Amino acid sequence: MSGTIPILRMGDVLLTTVHVELRDAVAEAFQADVLAAIEKGQIRGLVIDISGLDMVDTYVARILAETGRMARLMGTVTVLCGMRPEIAATLVRMGYPMDGVHAALDLDEGLERLRSLRGRR
Amino acid sequence: MSHRRYMKSLNMDEAELRSRRAFCGLTDDDLERLRSLRGFAEQHTTGIVNAFYDLLLAHEQTRKFFPDDAAIRRVKRMQSEYFLALFEGRCDLAYVEDRLRVGAAHERIGLAPKWYLAAYAKYLELLGDQVHASFPREEAIPLYVSVTKIVFFDITLAIDTYIAANMDTVQRHQAALRELSTPVIRVHDRILLLPLVGAIDSVRAQQIMDTVLTRIVEEKARCIIIDIAGVPVVDTKVADSLVKTTASVRLLGAQTILTGISAQVARTIVQLGVDISPMHTCSRLQEGIELALDLVGKTITEKRG
Amino acid sequence: MTPITVTSRREMPVEVEDDVILVRRAVRDLAQARGFDAFASAAVTTATSELTRNIWVHADKGVAVIEELSTGDRYGIRVTFRDEGPGIAHVDRVLAGGFSTARSLGLGLSGSRRLVDDFRLETTVGQGTTVEIVKWKSI
Repeated sequence: MSGTIPILRMGDVLLTTVHVELRDAVAEAFQADVLAAIEKGQIRGLVIDISGLDMVDTYVARILAETGRMARLMGTVTVLCGMRPEIAATLVRMGYPMDGVHAALDLDEGLERLRSLRGRR
Repeated sequence: MSHRRYMKSLNMDEAELRSRRAFCGLTDDDLERLRSLRGFAEQHTTGIVNAFYDLLLAHEQTRKFFPDDAAIRRVKRMQSEYFLALFEGRCDLAYVEDRLRVGAAHERIGLAPKWYLAAYAKYLELLGDQVHASFPREEAIPLYVSVTKIVFFDITLAIDTYIAANMDTVQRHQAALRELSTPVIRVHDRILLLPLVGAIDSVRAQQIMDTVLTRIVEEKARCIIIDIAGVPVVDTKVADSLVKTTASVRLLGAQTILTGISAQVARTIVQLGVDISPMHTCSRLQEGIELALDLVGKTITEKRG
Repeated sequence: MTPITVTSRREMPVEVEDDVILVRRAVRDLAQARGFDAFASAAVTTATSELTRNIWVHADKGVAVIEELSTGDRYGIRVTFRDEGPGIAHVDRVLAGGFSTARSLGLGLSGSRRLVDDFRLETTVGQGTTVEIVKWKSI
């Protein structure tokens, strides 16, 4: 389970692409892997690319939001990128607008957003 | 519309067919009687079909549907087949499909129901004359009644065809209206503008949000200006849908600017207690455009000289 | 009121985690095959995922029934979720989404309700729950 979702390191930024359905075990391992990677190196930014997900229910949304909160506690800014329009619509309509996460259109935008967010601190 | 779509929209299956036949009183006995008339029908087809089209061609309003001899020959042939099919003694789904095909053809060439139905009356008159002339009274009457029943069964199908075709047109117009009602315009690099005009009900609100999100991804927009000066009523539902749209736009990494807010609308929103703080808001479109440019790192400057 | 015809029916067990994925894939595939747009498809698939998960998490096992509906001018996908689990106490508050002890359950239920056109819930504490959702499409 650990390692199912690859995590790349680019300087002090972690890049990860969620390309499979997040079953419970995979989701928990993902969260653990991300936090372990942040702890290991001096990581200041985390970009989670979810362009491969065609469905995000409240369970997945919670995992993503939680991961972002945990990362922030460890001094890392998180940006979620690549959300499909129909997923954004569904989450908001359900009443789960994920207020606490930063979001960007795609990976490029995500990295740029990280830069501007970190520049402000 | 194709006849197959008519079958679908009429929910035409065995059960529907049974219920229509029962309502028209079209029994197996009637079908037997009609089958017994087959020879008679074959004898009189040409005469009746010719008289039928003489009527249609004699009147200016119906003549134009049959512009040339080739067209007339074609429809006479179709009509003969139709006429003879009345005497096959069957009324099953295949028969219904055939009828719908004929009805669809008439609807397509634009022959209005009033002509179609008046022509049926002529049909019955011509048939009636021949039946009464060819059979003794005690036989002629039940035969003619059976003919009437199946013709009326056909008429119900013809009317339904026209209704279904109209509904289809209405739906297509509605779809076109929907597209027109959410015109998202790219005003500059990464900046979109959506001028909303007209009332917004919950269906339209949903379409607006879906269209906005799709266009943002298509144009890689960072900012969308939604102008509501043209929306006559901004109530809780409308305000709520704007809030939801802003929240979902945010999840795509973009920002929403609401413009065209009149004093009345500002008052309504505050009194309703709707939290629109995540939205940028401006009273006029111009301010919104300037703000949008600023958000994407641009500005408008005066030309020198 | 036009009568509703059920044109197909498929029953799927919900007992292990994989079943949640199978059920939602089945609904998604059906929605896409029947021409629902991306937004409608995501809505019914997500609601299905929420409600199937609820069975697996709270009731341990149950069943999901996927049906295709047809009226004269509309086509619908109906999914019924049935379990013999603990049932939902204070269902009104849970559906309103704010009841803390059943928070995740409430969020999934109230959220799903907003994603679909028709929503029906029957529950008896100690006996079980049935939830029925329908997503329509004009034809």
